[in-house]
Amino acid sequence: MPENELIQNLDLDEYKYGFIDQETHVFRTRPGLDEDIVRQISERKEEPQWMLDFRLKALRTYEAKPMPKWGGDLSKLEETLEEIYFYVKPQDQMERSWDDVPENIKNTFERLGIPEAEQKVLAGVGAQYESEMVYHSLKDEWESQGVIFDSIEDGLKNHPELFREHFATVIPPADNKFSALNSAVWSGGSFVYIPRGVHLETPLQAYFRVNQERMGQFERTLIIVEEGAQAHYIEGCTAPVYSTDSFHSGVIEIVLKRDSRFRYTTIQNWSNNMYNLVTQRALVNENATMEWLDGNLGSKLTMKYPSCYLMGEGAHGSIMSIAYASDGQHQDTGGKVVHAAPNTTSSIVSKSISKGHGRSSYRGLCKVYEGSTNARSNVECDALLINDTSRTDTYPYIEIEEKRSTVGHEATVSKVGDEQLFYLKSRGMSEEEAMALIVRGFIEPIAKELPLEYAVELNRLIELEMEGSVG
Amino acid sequence: MSLESAVLKKLGQGAPEWLCRRREHAWNVYKNTPLPTTQSEEWRYTDLSQIVDLESLKFLLPGDVDLNGSLPEILEGVLNENRTASGSSFLVDGLTTNIDSEASLSAQGVIFTSLRSAVEDYSDLLEEHLAVEALPPEKGKFEALNAAFWTDGVLLYVPRGVNIKLPFRTVNYLSHAGSAVCTRTLIIAEAGSQVSYVEEIISEDFDEITLASSSLEVIAKEGAQVQFVSIQQSGHGVFCQSAQRTLAHRDSILNTLNVGLGGSVSRVDLNSQLLGSGAKSDMLGIYFGDQNQCFDHNTSQDHVASNSGSDLLYKGALDGSSRAAFRGIIRVHPGAQGTDAYQTNRNLLLSDNARADSLPNLEIEADDVKCSHGATIGQLDKEALFYLLSRGLSRQQAERLVVLGFLGDVMSRLPLGDVVDEVTQAIEQKLLTHA
Repeated sequence: MPENELIQNLDLDEYKYGFIDQETHVFRTRPGLDEDIVRQISERKEEPQWMLDFRLKALRTYEAKPMPKWGGDLSKLEETLEEIYFYVKPQDQMERSWDDVPENIKNTFERLGIPEAEQKVLAGVGAQYESEMVYHSLKDEWESQGVIFDSIEDGLKNHPELFREHFATVIPPADNKFSALNSAVWSGGSFVYIPRGVHLETPLQAYFRVNQERMGQFERTLIIVEEGAQAHYIEGCTAPVYSTDSFHSGVIEIVLKRDSRFRYTTIQNWSNNMYNLVTQRALVNENATMEWLDGNLGSKLTMKYPSCYLMGEGAHGSIMSIAYASDGQHQDTGGKVVHAAPNTTSSIVSKSISKGHGRSSYRGLCKVYEGSTNARSNVECDALLINDTSRTDTYPYIEIEEKRSTVGHEATVSKVGDEQLFYLKSRGMSEEEAMALIVRGFIEPIAKELPLEYAVELNRLIELEMEGSVG
Repeated sequence: MSLESAVLKKLGQGAPEWLCRRREHAWNVYKNTPLPTTQSEEWRYTDLSQIVDLESLKFLLPGDVDLNGSLPEILEGVLNENRTASGSSFLVDGLTTNIDSEASLSAQGVIFTSLRSAVEDYSDLLEEHLAVEALPPEKGKFEALNAAFWTDGVLLYVPRGVNIKLPFRTVNYLSHAGSAVCTRTLIIAEAGSQVSYVEEIISEDFDEITLASSSLEVIAKEGAQVQFVSIQQSGHGVFCQSAQRTLAHRDSILNTLNVGLGGSVSRVDLNSQLLGSGAKSDMLGIYFGDQNQCFDHNTSQDHVASNSGSDLLYKGALDGSSRAAFRGIIRVHPGAQGTDAYQTNRNLLLSDNARADSLPNLEIEADDVKCSHGATIGQLDKEALFYLLSRGLSRQQAERLVVLGFLGDVMSRLPLGDVVDEVTQAIEQKLLTHA
């Protein structure tokens, strides 16, 4: 791409993560996807035969499944998929110390503030660049308690039985077209094991960066939380801005054993040329609590519905999500809760903001199977529209087979009230400040659940995005 | 006679050319439209292939219905109720047997007539509005079926400024098992007029699936006020399919109430179009299912003009192994600023085998709007039950009372006293079987 075109596409004021590193890789497959490419990926990873067979079977499932016709506009995705690189290996091996990570890659993560945060507030960090984890580290105090936080590849190599027992059990390849695709070409992601009774006091974080143009990233994460254990996992993602489209399709599987508690936080801030189609699901056993905190700010199109399958009595699932859609963006997000046991409870709170020509859609499912007596679920969706060209949709599915259950759904749509604006302006605020304040107030119930640095980041972003949004 | 061109020819005998062409066109649309499957969002919860084989139904033609025999008991009952109405009509198996209205109204230019006679007497009016403006056959498979094969129905026309206090009433009665009966209603309320219309569907119980297909078109011109009520109390074996589309022009008020109590499967497609600024539409619904009944409501509120309002409230109670699906959508079209649109669906599950699905959707493309929707599915209010039990009522009595209160809430918004009483009685009747 000519340099001036790049500069035109970069708008650092609005998207500060859009910088591009020089391309480096030690290996990449040719663009496009076929059986040969799947074999190459598996060979590079020195995988056992069963995994190669699994991948090849998933590839056939992927090819057989039609492109979804619901959700966002996927009409140009097929073209994009023919041109992207499905596997790009950035360096020879994963490192345990930032000093050993190649300079340019290390610089990227330093610009994103990852090593600094690691020292201060995190229990462990994983960093993925293109298709592979380039860095993974867990603080000694947790390692000595038996916590495993590793790349998914090392999970398969070093803990083959534990891995195989749970891998693809929560999200089988045939679940949907993109889980099948991920199952065929997965690379990178985390393998997390929290032993019985261990409470991780600080979060684990995985950071995903795509630098290569026309790149497909397919991380796969498997998390097992043993009885009574507790942990918090944070995922962040960014990419440079190119004029061509890239593709990210992750599969995240989480198993919560009885009495455990787990929170999964995502701050998705992909550049606006990224298709982001992710399948995330947690199996929640007896009296366990799963919390999804899902922030979708970036990407061209995101289709992502974190789900809780409440399998054991007393299980609780919670999904909180914020979506922000600006020009050229469609956030098709929401959540799914499936009640399959008595006394299970769930709540979904979704807030979305649409600005300019942006579109945000809430799509969700609440299903209560017969026999899930005393199941209770509550869904609340609020949408804020900034401009008269913005769009919002709400598509909740509520399917109830059990009489002794209580399910409610509520949604509201509003615009920033003239009265609110007038009041704040009469107190000496500029219109833009007032607007930003109102929007911050709107998302506050969810923002306050975020780790501090992310909450600050979110608020800063909202402020930036509100500039010039008035009138 | 089964579904074929010969039926069309027979229906077209002596009819004006425009009507024959219109039926022919609808028949072509019908043939080219596949039967909807559960793959389509709009039919997700009702599998037509398990309910009805349209090709095997018997289409009754004017000669097939014996209108001279004595009236069936169920119809006698309705006739003897001595209702107050501005006009009333009876249809037996899709053909009008009597129709009359107050003489003073026709003097004011009000038209209340059977659709068959309207083809002769008001051909121009029908040509302009029937199955073209509100419900053209392109809307769907059943809309096309009805537009091709309707045998009779009602035309109600209210001239400018005429204000009619008492409702017009129609009873639609079905007697032939395994038949398909297609009727239509066209209501045109000119500027500033006021009118209300109540239709009932009743039938015997049938061993074979019997189709009652009805199409409703309502056009409310500037400032007109129209109330439409449908009370569906057909017997077992009836698949009640009703397509309704209402067009509300500037400053008009166009309210509907659909009461679903009978039939084996009941499907209502209701689309309310808010076409003029200041137009308002209240959309009310009540359903009460028991045994194996299915109620499927598919509603949409289209806000095309600015400053229009719509408010939908559908409430249902489900007993036995009955099932309800509600799919509703509010669409605020670009430029429809100042829209107030609300949508609420509430369900009570009274038995272990009952099931309810609810999909309240929103699609908003304007920013200066007030929109909300809510859906709940739950059990009887425990506190209310406890209160009633503590006052000495039996559990059965208490439950019935709570259900009645839950559904009665909808009717309190309808200003037609007689109709409210009748519906309440019908629900009470059904509640007697609730154990």
